[in-house]
Amino acid sequence: MSHFSDYESDQSRLYNAHHHDKNSPESKAKVKNIWKITLWLTIITIVEVAIGLYCFYKGVPKTLPNVGFIIMTLLKAGLIVSVFMHLGDEFKNMILTILIPLTLFIWFILAFLMDGAFWLSINARFFNHM
Amino acid sequence: MSSVAIDSKKKAWGGGQSPFNLSYGKVMMWYFLMSDAFTFGAFLISYGTTRFFSALWPDSNEVFASFPWFAPNGGAPMAFVSLMTFILIVSSVTMVLAVHAGHCNDKKGVIKWMVWTIIGGIAFLSCQAWEWTHLHHHGAWWGAFRTQPDGTIADAESLKHFFSHTVPVSEAMGIPGADAAHKFFNFFFTITGFHGAHVASGVVLNIIILLNTINGTYEKRGHYEMVEKVGLYWHFVDLVWVFVFTCFYLL
Repeated sequence: MSHFSDYESDQSRLYNAHHHDKNSPESKAKVKNIWKITLWLTIITIVEVAIGLYCFYKGVPKTLPNVGFIIMTLLKAGLIVSVFMHLGDEFKNMILTILIPLTLFIWFILAFLMDGAFWLSINARFFNHM
Repeated sequence: MSSVAIDSKKKAWGGGQSPFNLSYGKVMMWYFLMSDAFTFGAFLISYGTTRFFSALWPDSNEVFASFPWFAPNGGAPMAFVSLMTFILIVSSVTMVLAVHAGHCNDKKGVIKWMVWTIIGGIAFLSCQAWEWTHLHHHGAWWGAFRTQPDGTIADAESLKHFFSHTVPVSEAMGIPGADAAHKFFNFFFTITGFHGAHVASGVVLNIIILLNTINGTYEKRGHYEMVEKVGLYWHFVDLVWVFVFTCFYLL
């Protein structure tokens, strides 16, 4: 084995845990799971587009479907991150270093959208031409 | 690996090993992706803020209704973007399969699936290029639909096609509509452009990794972790698209 720098030390032991034989049942099960998740992602996207088009053609307001879109998008994101990016296979604390900072988005989104809506209502109230 | 003594805490903080049993390269890729997630998030949230601040806004079902060859003049709302989304998701899947082949030390499998991923990425970029060209031909671009000093609006004819039928044409083609379309397209080209740049750089990285794989670099190294790392970047690109798709085309 080639010498690794003293700084990094030998990290190859971190990688060897994964090796399967590609014809083993575990490997085949993993591949099957990948295609299963793909099917779910496709189905969710088709449902989203179908709902969007239904609202467009029937003139239905999108307020409630929008909530549905957000939930389905978060679901797709969760599947991609946990299965495709293998975050679901990592140590729990590693997962948390990713997920906890992302909760900042809740505050970020609410604060800015509420600000935008507030500015619009202020303009409508005090500046009639806007 | 030395047996973990009672002093495991001292060992953990003593350095010389990577936290979470991950190589530092992978950890750093995750944290870079986090920073990029906040950048894209900031763009999308500012889009949302501007939209909430506007009384009038284009209807994506009207703006994005064309499909190359089959419906070049509209009539097919959401069809082309659905195809683009599907292409990117599938290229993400082929990437996972490449990573899996790497775990099995299957060099031929890695090559096959990386090639498909690169093809998917190029297909997506081509679709986006068509979309941009098509919109540009209708007058849409950065800084488009500005109200000139004399009160007229550039390319006003296109404006009435961007809004829902419930919006009066006088408003759509007037200053409120022009303002909204101006902001909409600034955001659209900036955000999809920034995303497209990520797809393009992802394709370049994938090609480099593919060439390394063909040359046997990772075979010699004993593991295909580099495929996993670019895989993370590629999945991130797909993930961002999922959110861009939702914000621009669905909501």
